[in-house]
Amino acid sequence: MAAEPAASLPYRLTGHVGRRFVQAVEEFGYGAALLVESLYWIVAGHWLNQPVRLRVVAAEMIDIGVSAVPVVAILAFANGGMMALQGIYTLQDFGAQSQVIPGIAMSVTREFGVLIAGIVVAGRSGSAIAARIGTMNMSQEIDALRVMGIEPVRYLVAPMLLAMLVMMPVLAILADAMAVTGGGVITSLKLHMALPVYFDRALAELVPSDIGQGLAKSFVFGVLVVVVAAGNGFIARGGAEGLGRATTRSVVLCIAAIVVADMIFTLFLSR
Amino acid sequence: MTFAVQDSNGFAVVQLCGEIDLRNSPEARKLILTSLKKQKHVMVDLSAVEYIDSSGVASLVEGFQYARANDLEFGLLGVSEAAMNVLRLARLDQVFPIYDSLDDRLSHGG
Amino acid sequence: MPQRTSDSSRPVIEVEGLRASWGGQPVLHDVDLSVEAGEIRVVMGGSGSGKSTLLRYLLGLHRPDAGTVRLFGEDISRLGRRDMLALRRRIGVSFQGGALFNSMTVGDNVCLPLREHTRLDEHTIRIMSRMKLEVVSLAGFEHLMPSQLSGGMVKRAALARAIVMDPDILFFDEPSAGLDPVVAADLDALILRLREAMQVTIVVVTHELDSAFAIADRITVLDQGRILMTGGVDEVRNADNERIRNLLTRTATDTEVDVDDYLERLTQGVGPQ
Repeated sequence: MAAEPAASLPYRLTGHVGRRFVQAVEEFGYGAALLVESLYWIVAGHWLNQPVRLRVVAAEMIDIGVSAVPVVAILAFANGGMMALQGIYTLQDFGAQSQVIPGIAMSVTREFGVLIAGIVVAGRSGSAIAARIGTMNMSQEIDALRVMGIEPVRYLVAPMLLAMLVMMPVLAILADAMAVTGGGVITSLKLHMALPVYFDRALAELVPSDIGQGLAKSFVFGVLVVVVAAGNGFIARGGAEGLGRATTRSVVLCIAAIVVADMIFTLFLSR
Repeated sequence: MTFAVQDSNGFAVVQLCGEIDLRNSPEARKLILTSLKKQKHVMVDLSAVEYIDSSGVASLVEGFQYARANDLEFGLLGVSEAAMNVLRLARLDQVFPIYDSLDDRLSHGG
Repeated sequence: MPQRTSDSSRPVIEVEGLRASWGGQPVLHDVDLSVEAGEIRVVMGGSGSGKSTLLRYLLGLHRPDAGTVRLFGEDISRLGRRDMLALRRRIGVSFQGGALFNSMTVGDNVCLPLREHTRLDEHTIRIMSRMKLEVVSLAGFEHLMPSQLSGGMVKRAALARAIVMDPDILFFDEPSAGLDPVVAADLDALILRLREAMQVTIVVVTHELDSAFAIADRITVLDQGRILMTGGVDEVRNADNERIRNLLTRTATDTEVDVDDYLERLTQGVGPQ
């Protein structure tokens, strides 16, 4: 058989990239469809006699939000402390250490508080949601729901989305508060400032629009985690190993989605 | 379709008819329980019932249980072969007092 | 036994010219099927015959490439959401692994269709689900989680859930799979009792011959995505068709050995060229 010119490396690479791109677009579309359908059920479900059940939403809120509180709190606190340390260290050269306080207030509320909350949720819920839906898919539980006339998106995904829309902002605020406190502990130690004085200054520096930005981001991050994780769960195949792969992929894509969304937000909001 | 309750010889006779299914079994249930709560002995007349589903049977079970707990009498009248099949599947034919008619019950003294 | 008010003169299930493919490969070819009300139909075939796939199309889980599936006289691919929901309330399905929801108890599993689709009082719902558990001999097990049940119990719980709404059609996917013969025979007897008492149409997809012959009114034999025949138990038992005979006697088809082909397959890429 004669060697085919099509086997050349650039051709294959292009083909590969092209296929990946098409696949990514497909998945994006799938995720968007999941989102739209979830919102549809949240808004219209009651009138169609298939409401999104509040008890389920409450249970999801505990899974997604309440259980994440300790981790978010600790990480945010540590992050705040680190920011203070780094900030004071770099600002020392300019004798501007005390400027670390507005620095912390602004960057925590606009960026890092919600980012930390988002990453923790992406790790916890990004894997849990994908694992749960993936397992149900493989044991035909999703089929069973459909055959019973229970829409899987309405029954499983919509409650998660609603719970996320409530808990993410809460976690973001918690992260903000803990990070500012963590920064305060370090700042008060390093700059020999009384903690209440720090808090007075920090609170004075808080800008409502900064907090608002952070909250807006938190909604978007929450939606992304649910949609990406659920999507990965629904397409999971291939037994235990397949489930493991789907869960890992879900976490990675959730974090990636959050970071990309963050970049886009920051680009537009920092003009 | 509304069901009637007739007082007769010391019993409240709940007269069900047609098809008893998810749509109207709650009404049957309410009638039975209301009569029982008024401290009446209840007979459920099924002679005009063409079909009864599990929700209907469940309502009868609930009524029977309430009656027993409150020292009241509860029984079924005129159970068709079709309805018997449904009761038999859950072995409830051995649970309910079943009579051909109210006269049948009265002549047996209970 | 009086029928539910429905058009009982039409077949309850009608499939015409069903064609389907999975991942580009054709899986079902021009399948025609018709099941009468109150009938117990067994769809039988070996692995890869397409019988489980056929079931998925009967259940409306996928859209076929061609052909129609009618349940209760309605073309299911044309039904709107509300009508489809009403139709789904009339069918019950017992999946191969039971497909019980692992996050809830047996009792909650059986109650689920009632809680989602009806406005019945909670007392009524509980009594109904316990009644169905009694029917499948699982009385008192409602507080267990599915993971605490044996294989046979899982199947029975799944059946209880499938019948809790008094469906008009019951579908079973491999009901005896993984069960020992005694438990499987019990399940067969239960299926027959259900048909008697509930006047329900039953479709069983299986490869277990013993069960099939014990319960079927008619058997549809499927092979490589095509229907070989539909007939009564005796008809199928005495069929002339070679593939059916092979299926019944559980032998692999003895094909002629083509020496060149076989050697080529065995030695491809091996040895001195």
